[in-house]
Amino acid sequence: MTGGLDGGTAHAVPRVEMQGITKSYGALKVLRGVDLRVGRGEVVGLVGDNGAGKSTLMKMLAGAVVPDRGRILVDGEELTGTGPRAARAHGIEMVYQDLALCNDVDVAGNLFLGREPYHRFTRKLDHARMHREAAEDLAKLHIRISDTRQLVGNMSGGQRQAIAIARAVAFEPRVLVLDEPTAALAAREVEMTLQLIRDVSERGVSVILITHRLQDLFEVADRFVVLHEGVNHRELDPADTDLTGLVTAMMGK
Amino acid sequence: MSATTTSVPDREARRDNRRDFVAKNFGVISISVVFVVLFAYFSLASDAFLTTTNLVNVLRQVAPTVIVAVGMTFVITTGQIDLSVGSIVGLSAAALGLFAESGNPVVALLGTLAIALAIGLASGMITAFGKVQSFIVTLAALTAVRGVALLITDGYSTPITSDFLLPLGQGSLAGIYTPTWLAVIAVVTGWYVFNHTRFGRYVTAVGSNDESLRRAGVDIRRIQVAVLGLTGVLAGLAGVITAARLGSGSSNSGTAFELEVITAVVLGGTSLMGGRGSILGSAIGALTLGVINNGLVLSKVDVYWVPITQGLILIVAIFLNSKLFGRIVGTRA
Repeated sequence: MTGGLDGGTAHAVPRVEMQGITKSYGALKVLRGVDLRVGRGEVVGLVGDNGAGKSTLMKMLAGAVVPDRGRILVDGEELTGTGPRAARAHGIEMVYQDLALCNDVDVAGNLFLGREPYHRFTRKLDHARMHREAAEDLAKLHIRISDTRQLVGNMSGGQRQAIAIARAVAFEPRVLVLDEPTAALAAREVEMTLQLIRDVSERGVSVILITHRLQDLFEVADRFVVLHEGVNHRELDPADTDLTGLVTAMMGK
Repeated sequence: MSATTTSVPDREARRDNRRDFVAKNFGVISISVVFVVLFAYFSLASDAFLTTTNLVNVLRQVAPTVIVAVGMTFVITTGQIDLSVGSIVGLSAAALGLFAESGNPVVALLGTLAIALAIGLASGMITAFGKVQSFIVTLAALTAVRGVALLITDGYSTPITSDFLLPLGQGSLAGIYTPTWLAVIAVVTGWYVFNHTRFGRYVTAVGSNDESLRRAGVDIRRIQVAVLGLTGVLAGLAGVITAARLGSGSSNSGTAFELEVITAVVLGGTSLMGGRGSILGSAIGALTLGVINNGLVLSKVDVYWVPITQGLILIVAIFLNSKLFGRIVGTRA
């Protein structure tokens, strides 16, 4: 049913496989048996009109929503347990639209939030190590932030987006889910973020991208998966389609 | 990091650093200026102000405020508030008197602190697990805890005569009273925990964006319980110090003490919205209030002007805290 368009997944176990996912909220059937496969290092653009169920599907992957039925496999291993921690244990990281950064904490502090290194006896945070490793992490992703001591609240939208993505990548995920990463960014910052997505996928991380900026998808996505009213509607290859074709597919035609 | 770094980002970075330095320290800088100005004014206005005896006394008087302000800085930085500290001071003072009257003074001390801690933890749990605002929970505690203090003492004071307990309020070392030393320990420890430990970092993060911290896998409810437990036990210590200084445990101790503590913390630049706090600022804020009270009395101003002045200072401090402070360190996003 799915796959076939992407050569990388044909011979190997897919990085992510979601099978027959259903979810209802009362009488409303949001997802009605959706399948999704993502290969290693593949960038998949998940598209669909509002209410198509793409956000719900991604929240399931990130452990924030539990499916009624269906299986989620990461590298052939079934996702067990619920909650964001279980998802993280399986190598899934999601960067939410609202960024979830602490404005009053500096860059290094945000990158290390929840996993700060500290001295065993004095309980003192290892500030020097956090700043050093934060600078290294940012440099690896070609993110240009001159000082990791800056407060995140004083930075531009693009820089904040980059930090949020760098933070997710620091957990060395196998799959990175990005929800509207380029919304509300200036043109130059969009380009920065798209380059960051390419860099991340080159490191072997699979990326699933939700965005309303369809032109961005043509720049980074290896494949489009179109959802319509809670079912798989179509899979498209960016090389064989154009913006009009994608929009037509999104409308369920 | 990048080989192609030019001078323009460097200049931007230096400007950003300066702005961040001001942002992080604006509260401490401004309250320090206010403190110095007031100190100089009262030194000139009254002959009795700038004397060793008077200053040593001021340092003893403000000690309970400083101690509880350290805890309150943690609470307010998480975006919460604790209105019950004054009543906990009253209950602790009363309990210390009653315990000491009928038993071992060491047990009396530990028992009193345990009760204060338990009240703080209880408020914290209702706030964190019951999802009730701390403002409401601790407002209820303010009334109820004071009621308990009055109930167990029938409103009378209990004399304290223990040679173990009295030095906690009256003893001195190197010419400085014990309460002052305890306050110094509280400030140094509080500063260290606030700025250099995971717990301190999470306190800031909860107030800044609790959802972010929750997604990072940290149980934010434990942070909320811990900070209110901290103000509880520190208010207990303040009650012990107050009772030991007076040589009598009174259930009326600490009336309106919460307002003084909150004023000190807000004066010190800690944001009532959470996310930004300064232990040092709170300590200087408490000292400033102490100097104002003492200076007004020594300047032979009618004593009723003291609470009026305090109230006005609180208004001005909150105004500056939310307007001026917010503008200077305002974030772009």
